[in-house]
Amino acid sequence: MASDPQSAANQRIVEDLVSRLRRRQVVGSRATALETLLVLRQVISKARFSNIDQLTDVIRSVGRRLVEAQPKEHSVGNTVRKVLHHIREEYHTASGPPAVESSFSIAKFVLQGQPRRQTVIPKSEARVPLKENDPDDPDSFARVLKPVLMEAIQDVFDELETVYDNIAKNAKDHIHSDEIILTLGMSKTVQSFLKSAAHYRNYTVIVAETAPSFGGREMAKSLSSAGISTFLVPDSSIYALMSRVNKVILGAHAILANGGMFATSGSLLAATAARSYSTPVVVCAGQFKLTPLWNLYHEYGALDFGDPSAVLGFEEGDLVDKVDVVNPYYDYVRPELLDVFITNYGDHPPSSIYRLLKETYDDEDNEL
Amino acid sequence: MTRRVVILNTDIDAVVCSIERSQTLPADLEMADLEIYASYQRLLENEDLSTPLAAILALTEMMERSNAGTMFELLNELKGGAEALSRQSSNPIGLNAGCELFIEFITLFPHDAATFSDLKTELIQQGRQYAEQALTYRTKIAELAFDFIKDDSVILTHSYSRVVLQTLLMAHKRKRISVFVTEARPRGMGIKTAEKLTAVGIPCTVVLDSAVAYAIEKVDFVLMGSEAVVESGGLVNAVGSNQIAIIAKAANKPFYALAESYKFHRMFPLSQYDLPSHNPRLLSFPQSLNSTRRSSFGRRASESASTPIKITQEDIAQNNPDVDYTRPDLISLVFSDVGSLTPEGVSQYLVGMFAG
Repeated sequence: MASDPQSAANQRIVEDLVSRLRRRQVVGSRATALETLLVLRQVISKARFSNIDQLTDVIRSVGRRLVEAQPKEHSVGNTVRKVLHHIREEYHTASGPPAVESSFSIAKFVLQGQPRRQTVIPKSEARVPLKENDPDDPDSFARVLKPVLMEAIQDVFDELETVYDNIAKNAKDHIHSDEIILTLGMSKTVQSFLKSAAHYRNYTVIVAETAPSFGGREMAKSLSSAGISTFLVPDSSIYALMSRVNKVILGAHAILANGGMFATSGSLLAATAARSYSTPVVVCAGQFKLTPLWNLYHEYGALDFGDPSAVLGFEEGDLVDKVDVVNPYYDYVRPELLDVFITNYGDHPPSSIYRLLKETYDDEDNEL
Repeated sequence: MTRRVVILNTDIDAVVCSIERSQTLPADLEMADLEIYASYQRLLENEDLSTPLAAILALTEMMERSNAGTMFELLNELKGGAEALSRQSSNPIGLNAGCELFIEFITLFPHDAATFSDLKTELIQQGRQYAEQALTYRTKIAELAFDFIKDDSVILTHSYSRVVLQTLLMAHKRKRISVFVTEARPRGMGIKTAEKLTAVGIPCTVVLDSAVAYAIEKVDFVLMGSEAVVESGGLVNAVGSNQIAIIAKAANKPFYALAESYKFHRMFPLSQYDLPSHNPRLLSFPQSLNSTRRSSFGRRASESASTPIKITQEDIAQNNPDVDYTRPDLISLVFSDVGSLTPEGVSQYLVGMFAG
């Protein structure tokens, strides 16, 4: 198939994103999710397939390439999974209700407990018959299905575009007047959440500067320019200030299946301090950050390390070769330390994240 | 004088014993009840069959013998059978889960069979088929749990569980693991686990039940089998599981439970004493000792010198529990053939299963 000009074009698009992911030219979960979606849209619109399995195979192989390029950007894989899920859903609606399960067995009875999404009632009555593997016209399947798929991808796209607004929508219910909120790092989600609440409430934000990236400084600047009373504090004073804080609001890099999360380094410190004062910890994150992964080996955190020169530069001279410097991007925060996740699909306690995952993705895609 | 008191006490014991026996084996026990228990016992001789599956198979055998003419009659008979099994077994939790699943399934079975006997054969077929299929669940669970076992881990397990054993054997093929297994008094089943693990070359040490807290710091995580997983998301398993879970929690070590989905049981125990395996005899204070002490208070010293009190292992086992209940907040994850679930997930799952 390499000779096929269309698949060659697909290859080129995929490889382009692969190399940009690898060089970390695209960073941040939302940016990578958007880029992935664009690539998938291209791939699907150009792909040739005559049944659903061929189509999912194409998407999976592209997904695999992208995930391998940058396994730490979990939203890449999540987007691929989500698209696959939507495709299967559209396919099932288009091909009519699946043949009524004739055999009811104990195993099936047991599976009734499985969390599932409410089945969508097919809207279009005038259904074009779907023919798989039509020998006379192998493209007919793709021709019928493609417009629906494009629509489905557009839905995912729209969801990503509006994710900040949807999360920020309920901000005023979570932040009350005269509260003191602690946050850290630069998270667009948290930023829009806090700004949205500021329309209704008068409250104070303490931002930890979050060394060594100092994302907190940027955050503090942006919040205070929106008219929120903001304090910028060093990371070391988080614990000392915690007794005055009403709520800790954090962003997430990835939400894991057990309800824990990967978040900017420093989040674990803040969450642990909050625990000792019983301060609620609220996490704001888009649904595309839901990752069907368990953090298996906690002690290594997210295993993603940044440039050590931000911690200890070469100007330190001879000290540099005497010490090991690590600069992890992310902390792993255990589910016990978190109280609620605010997503664009509503608010969830950490313990029900796994359920949300089952509804969002298909089990067979957990391993791409 | 003392002699007479002692004789009196043994008499009382004998009476108590006979009362208890008559409670577990009432005189009006019907033939069918004895029969179903006999077939249950016979099925349990199969090493691979766990109690819920044996109960399901015993119920299918009962259906074969039954000459019920309607669904209502059949269900009544099955419920009677399930109750008979539960009454005659000292630890009915596992078999209750199996019976509950099977009976609920039959109640909901959409039948289009022409005659009732056709329907009955179909149900019998279903029961057998499930039992066969369910034997593959352990492999499934082992695969799920495998991802959570990293190379060079030290695992603590308790007593003997077929699913834990299978998981460990599978992990051993591809990773280096070493295992602490508790002795699990009073039945000492942990030794069986240790023997099987050592036989295939897994480094394995038996630790005393009382040494778990001593060993926990060397352990990476706990793998626990189960008799039943209950609606709260908690776990019913060989006695000692609860204290291991408490210790694991205190030491911040993950506690993973392994349970096949037929062990999901719709029961909501709030304490240890809500389990059906609990009876007043468990943890009771011996009557004889107290009364002896009271009646012969003045002469206690001389008496104990002449007949020193001996407590044997059997005496201890007699009024100690077989199983205990572990609270859901102590459990990190439950691995089952339907996926890895959080304890909350288990309770939601059970609701979906029986109310969906």
